[in-house]
Amino acid sequence: MSVYFWLILTLACLVWYTAVTIIVAVRGVADIREMMARLGARDSDSVE
Amino acid sequence: MNTVFESNFSWWLDGSIVGLYLIGVIFAGLWMRRFVSKVDDFLVAGREMKLYLGIASLAATEFGIVTCMYTAQNGYLYGFAGATPGILMALAMLVVGLTGFCIKPLRDAGVVTLPELFQQQFGPRIRCAAGVVIVMGGLLTTGVFLRLGGEFLVGAAGLAEGRLEITMTFLLLIVLVYTILGGMLSVLVTDFIQFVVMSVGLLLVTVLILIRIGWSELVQTVQAHHGSGGFNPFVHEGLGWSYVIFFSLIALSGVLTWQPIVQRVLSAKDTSTGRRVYSATSFFFVCRFVIPGIWGIAALALLPELNGNDTIHAMPKFLAVFVPIGVIGILIAAMLAADMSTNSSYILSWTSVIYNDIIAPFRKGRSSESQGILWNRLIVAVIGLFMLFFGLWYEFKTDIVDYLGIASTVYLSSMSTLLIAACYWPRANDWGAAGALGVGVVIPVTYLILEQTPETSEWVIRNIGPRYSGIATYALAALAMVIGSLMKPSVRVPVAPITLDDAGAR
Repeated sequence: MSVYFWLILTLACLVWYTAVTIIVAVRGVADIREMMARLGARDSDSVE
Repeated sequence: MNTVFESNFSWWLDGSIVGLYLIGVIFAGLWMRRFVSKVDDFLVAGREMKLYLGIASLAATEFGIVTCMYTAQNGYLYGFAGATPGILMALAMLVVGLTGFCIKPLRDAGVVTLPELFQQQFGPRIRCAAGVVIVMGGLLTTGVFLRLGGEFLVGAAGLAEGRLEITMTFLLLIVLVYTILGGMLSVLVTDFIQFVVMSVGLLLVTVLILIRIGWSELVQTVQAHHGSGGFNPFVHEGLGWSYVIFFSLIALSGVLTWQPIVQRVLSAKDTSTGRRVYSATSFFFVCRFVIPGIWGIAALALLPELNGNDTIHAMPKFLAVFVPIGVIGILIAAMLAADMSTNSSYILSWTSVIYNDIIAPFRKGRSSESQGILWNRLIVAVIGLFMLFFGLWYEFKTDIVDYLGIASTVYLSSMSTLLIAACYWPRANDWGAAGALGVGVVIPVTYLILEQTPETSEWVIRNIGPRYSGIATYALAALAMVIGSLMKPSVRVPVAPITLDDAGAR
């Protein structure tokens, strides 16, 4: 029974990690762009 | 580690892969320098970190080469049951994320570090003392990362003996360059790249193991070497209830107070984002133990003869000959990614505390933003040098897990007590905080000294052991907080006597 627990957990890790890597890779790029845009806009406002 | 391992590493193919990765990271790190104009940008990314970037950064920070090595060692020594600390950490992070326990008031307070929050309840002296304890525990822990990272890379890439110092210096220089120039902004972006590279490497190698060695072989290996204890931590003679309780305490206190983790909450756009980062990242900590644990079990299947402190090198030794040419380049890049993200984040965490909580009381008047950034850059450089010389000089008398356990208990036991009290017990005060800080340092350090002293070593290991010592530290630190706080007389504000005029009015 415990062998099945570890098998399920291992498979869950592989599936979850793969999915999260793909999702975070795509959406993380958007987060970085937004962060840079906000920082850039903030710096422009302070110069003005 | 004096042995030169054979390795499938090819300088032409694998070296090119690693070189491309390093150039990409350096470029990205330096690019972010242009956005650093305030101390808050340098230390907490201007609080502009959003959810997915936060997840990548937290995952990358908390998965370094040292983590990979000791979690794989756990798989080698305890089978699947060795992944128990990861499960406990995931549960702790999930519960804290969902409930907001401590992290909600922490983020709402808008502070940069934990000691800054402690000042609000316990005063400036406790803030400074807490800062010193955090930096002590932090530097003792981080001080060995560079050394172990260098040992892994020398082993996995099959470098000649004597290349360790050059490898360590090279790794450190790259990390320092972008951390000094771009601070947390550079760390976040490079963490993101490192998360992607690291994840690809981890998944690739794990799939290779499952295909070429196979699940049945792994299970049989664990059964043969560890019996049913290899699947159940409560049954394994080397683990048991004390192990589960001790690591539950470490997991909860680490999630609440380990500065590199908490810094993600403090850098989040708002409290809600911080909590979601915790909840969404929690299962990662299961992966953090299970995946390298599989590598450790695979190493046990192919290299069963290792014992004692040599088991920490089982994983790199195994990978060097198991992973084929081309893929090993991706793996080395992945491990470099893991190591660099951890080192940069940890260096920045301790810098925050030194600048914000130890130096701050001695700064006369407010520094300008540019002076503040310069101070932080200097501190980053000094910490980097400390890591290099400590890593080269320090000789381990115990194994890595025991060493890290003691170093982290000095920090975690008192910090978690102070944080919980500061957030939820108005009666807590500086007497209790001082008591908790004192107990949190004295007990584990005393245990370490007794363990190292020949006359007392055998007795203390047999009758107490590091886990009961650790559990006692947590319990007594909490007790010291309660007793100390209750002992201090509460300050009563004198109430002016009410006087009535002849008409009976006030």
